[in-house]
Amino acid sequence: MSTHDGDIIVRSLTHGAAFADLYDRHERVVHRYIGRRLGTAFAEDITSETFLVAFARRASFTGGLDARPWLLGIATVLMQKHARLEARAWRGMLAADIARIHVDDIETADERMDADGLAPHLGTALADLSRGDRDVLLLHTFGDLDYAGIAEALGIPLGTVRSRLSRARRKVRAAIAPHVSPAPGREREHHRG
Amino acid sequence: MDEISLLNRVRADVPERTPDDVIRGRAALLRAIEAPPAPARSRRPHRPWIWVGSAVAATCALTGVFVFGGALGAPVGADPAAAAVLGSAATAARSVVDPVVGPGQYLEIQTDAVYAASGTTEADAEVARQERDGNLEDGDFTSFLESDVQALWVPADRSGDWVAVRCARTAVQTFGPRSETFAAEMGIVGGDSRQVFPAGKTEYGAPITMFDADTAADLPRDPRQLLERIYEENGSAGPSRDGEALVWLADRLRSGTVPAELRSVFYETAALIPGVTITEEQATLNGRTGTAIGRDEGANGFRQDIIIDPETGAFIGERQVLLTPAADMPAGTATGSTSVTTTVVDAAPEGTSLCAG
Repeated sequence: MSTHDGDIIVRSLTHGAAFADLYDRHERVVHRYIGRRLGTAFAEDITSETFLVAFARRASFTGGLDARPWLLGIATVLMQKHARLEARAWRGMLAADIARIHVDDIETADERMDADGLAPHLGTALADLSRGDRDVLLLHTFGDLDYAGIAEALGIPLGTVRSRLSRARRKVRAAIAPHVSPAPGREREHHRG
Repeated sequence: MDEISLLNRVRADVPERTPDDVIRGRAALLRAIEAPPAPARSRRPHRPWIWVGSAVAATCALTGVFVFGGALGAPVGADPAAAAVLGSAATAARSVVDPVVGPGQYLEIQTDAVYAASGTTEADAEVARQERDGNLEDGDFTSFLESDVQALWVPADRSGDWVAVRCARTAVQTFGPRSETFAAEMGIVGGDSRQVFPAGKTEYGAPITMFDADTAADLPRDPRQLLERIYEENGSAGPSRDGEALVWLADRLRSGTVPAELRSVFYETAALIPGVTITEEQATLNGRTGTAIGRDEGANGFRQDIIIDPETGAFIGERQVLLTPAADMPAGTATGSTSVTTTVVDAAPEGTSLCAG
């Protein structure tokens, strides 16, 4: 019989050390999520804090099989005190923040982008989002949560997740649209040549 | 490249933790776990029996003072009138013969749902940005209801092409001027889409999940055993274990593929859940009328209903009803409702004509 996160948390109510299993399962995804939003300098501390807070509140865990939404929700709240820092980091976003795209991808992609031109606009768009909208968008993309997971993480209704995500996407799309252009093969060569 | 796939690449190469850091973090966590609890902890209000199954047993064993009504093995069950309706539907469902999907045919599962979309208007969001660093307050939220119609065609040979059609989501109800503004700003979400999934798998190889024969076979047919199993599976999810048990049943019934004999067991199981009552004698969902059976979740402010036909045992649909006004919606609004119809058809449609109707 497999053990799911709910089992671990229930067991940890009486046997605290069992909670370390939850750390082993999810520390990486929590650390990555924080690292991508705030940078690795903060990720270490906030990851630790996330699990300490989660342990202290484990009795009120109301999720089911998967504790990721709950953990990422706690991490999101803990990052709020660094919201200004995060916004500053987004405003200073560089092309290097957009991971290199393999040449093969460019060959087959129907759209091509100019990372240098794009990054500041993308960063500014992210910085300008309301905190609620940004949390939803980044839990979706960096936290890899589905709508239900985001709703659970932030304690908001599913409909709110949908509407926040749709608004956030619309704003980001509007900001980057001028910098992502269709690139049929021939034109591309002219540009590069 | 759309904004989501672009964001998926942003800082995707953030350095991983070193193994040493991982171990140090784990050790710090264990130290905190093993430290004596802070005095404040014992003064926290105790949580009643929402820890279910093994947790309840463990807590009882440790404290020896936990006493609660409606314990496992001392059933209270649904309100008698609700139990009678569920019993009648269970009996009727037992004599229903499920549609058989012949060679070359498809099982068509159509789901007509309505959901509440909540959020803030651009104007209110701007005020929050200017005055409150983007923090939204309860009063900033408004809502509208939008339709979500989709259908799935599952081939008799599961290794064939599955077809899914999803219609553009459109606003179907608003709640005053602010709600109308919000609905207009959100616009129509997505277009009508038709997707083909070879062998029922997405392009990343993830199977389309549905309530299938294997899942059905795995569940106990004894209602009391099933209820125990549901309590166990749900863990401490949801506002109460009994409320969540009804949600568990509604989630599976909503799939539209629960065989009639199991549907009958589900109804009998619902009749065992304490606090379940008839919430509306004549409830209409998507043009079909039945009896609504539900359970008030006082703490959470909503009620889960399932709507069934006591005469035929048919599952008409399910809904979540708001008990207190929220985000411009009055009490009594169904913030989510689903009706499902399952039939056997000879062919999957080529286009998205489903959405025209």
